[in-house]
Amino acid sequence: MKSVRNLYVIVTSVAAGSLFAAGFAGWCYSGAGEGLRSAGYVFVALVCCFAAAAGVVWLGWHWLRLVRGITSITQQLGEKQSSRIKPSNNKIINELSEEINKHFGGNSNYIEELEKQVKDLQLKIQLLRRQKGNTDAIIYGIRDAVIVIDEFDKLLMANEAAGKLFNFDYKSSQHKLISELVGSEKTKAGENEFVDFLCQSRQSKSRHTKREIVFSNEGKSRTFDCIVSCVYGEEERVCGVVAVLHDITREKEISQMKNDFVNHVSHELKTPLASIIAYSEMLVDGEADDEHTRKEFYSVIQSQAKRLNRLIEDILNISRIESGLIKVEKGPVSLTILIEEQLQMIRSYAEEKKIEIIGQKPIVFDQVYADRDMISQVIVNLLSNAVKYTPCGGSITIETEVDEIAGLARVSVTDTGVGIPKDEIEHIFDKFYRVGANKKQAEGTGLGLNLVKQIVEKAHNGRVFVTSEPGVGSTFGFELPLATAEAVKT
Amino acid sequence: MAERKVLVADDEIHIVHVVTIKLRNNGYEVISAENGADAFAMACEEKPDIIVTDFQMPGMTGVELVRKLRQNETTKDIPVIMLTARGFAVEDKEKEELEISELLSKPFSPKELLRSIEDILYQKAVMQNK
Repeated sequence: MKSVRNLYVIVTSVAAGSLFAAGFAGWCYSGAGEGLRSAGYVFVALVCCFAAAAGVVWLGWHWLRLVRGITSITQQLGEKQSSRIKPSNNKIINELSEEINKHFGGNSNYIEELEKQVKDLQLKIQLLRRQKGNTDAIIYGIRDAVIVIDEFDKLLMANEAAGKLFNFDYKSSQHKLISELVGSEKTKAGENEFVDFLCQSRQSKSRHTKREIVFSNEGKSRTFDCIVSCVYGEEERVCGVVAVLHDITREKEISQMKNDFVNHVSHELKTPLASIIAYSEMLVDGEADDEHTRKEFYSVIQSQAKRLNRLIEDILNISRIESGLIKVEKGPVSLTILIEEQLQMIRSYAEEKKIEIIGQKPIVFDQVYADRDMISQVIVNLLSNAVKYTPCGGSITIETEVDEIAGLARVSVTDTGVGIPKDEIEHIFDKFYRVGANKKQAEGTGLGLNLVKQIVEKAHNGRVFVTSEPGVGSTFGFELPLATAEAVKT
Repeated sequence: MAERKVLVADDEIHIVHVVTIKLRNNGYEVISAENGADAFAMACEEKPDIIVTDFQMPGMTGVELVRKLRQNETTKDIPVIMLTARGFAVEDKEKEELEISELLSKPFSPKELLRSIEDILYQKAVMQNK
């Protein structure tokens, strides 16, 4: 600000010179210095006046430049693009520009920085909105129930599955206490346990905890795998809890079924094996005294070995059909021909027991579109069961009907056997199921009828049926779609 | 010494048959039943020295039979050997609670069964003589 100081000196000098000239002129005019009235003094006064006038002109010009410079600065400041004031010829303006640049130049950077930050924040908000949209879509889309609560146990978020599971409106239940939404009804077992589990997890600050909870409602039970995770804020403070409930009822059932199946198979395989091992040990140890006993033992070993083989075959066949591994080679097959072939195989066994077999009436068109070997297996299983469970002197009737309107062929095998008690009939096609009272009648694996069901229903989209009356007899049969031209083509 | 009586309960006739022959050959009197209900009735009537029962029988399982035996005054002290073709069919706790003397898994050796019967009856005799 040296130039400003110089300006002060000049202004002060011009003002002082003007005052002096004015004072001197006044003094001369008033006659105070009559003695001094001379041309020299008048000249000095005139020079002073001229100098004062020149100073005033210079000052005016200088102020004009100053004003222009300031106007230029304000204009430049008004322009957004320019962040700095351009240098000027005027020293004062230059210094002022530098001062402004120094001061406002920093502010401009700061504004730029702020603007950048605002833009960044706007981008981040957009990104977060998009991410929230994605998260919402995932949470609302998944089948597992999801519940998010805050540190005060109030609902922040829940999806449709959670709403359905706990019977609340997931859209309008935000900020309600979780204990008011879930577990308020005492009849719903498991819900209170779930709420306690959520609150405990939040209090214990555990990162992930898992528990299996059974929810019961109106007699129906469903098992859920509940995974609860705490959400952490500043200083590891728990600011929320997320619970995901995965329905494992079906998995549990399958696991139970698998265990039951393994247990059944193990039992069924071990039973004939137990006889084989026990009888062979007796033979080795010489416990069979006579030839008759030894033959009896050999016969038991043989029959049990065959039983074991049948069992393994049946298990494998059922397993292949269930898993879809077996190739079903379908073609037009005449049921009359198939039944006749299987009757030939079973006839000698029936004759041993003096069982009369009443054959079918010939039918003009009874072709079904089926796997020949599989349907033969179905017929032989039904026929051999009928012979096994029919006492000596009984009868077996085989009938084939064709329902052209429904497009079905129906085969039924009716015996005069021991029959099945009412309470057991619904289980008769189950794996390894054998009617307790009829076990003495014949040996069996408990898989023959299940295999029939699998072949007819799973491999051929047909239907099996049974009717029975204990002491009177049973009718087992199946229905298969007739072989139509379209079916044969496909 | 009087013949010791063994009740064999199993719905598998071949098993009943082979056990019967083995025990008879070794001086035991054998009575048999094909289901739990018949076995219980026979146990009450015949009061066998020991019972050999299968775990899985129609109507009444082996465990149910033993539970019923333990609740009955005349049969509550009869030692029981249980045969089972099912893995982990009877838990240790249940075995202890029902005082099942031994669990033999199928397939089993008739010799092993005979040895178990002899051991259990010997221990029973020792306890009675004390």
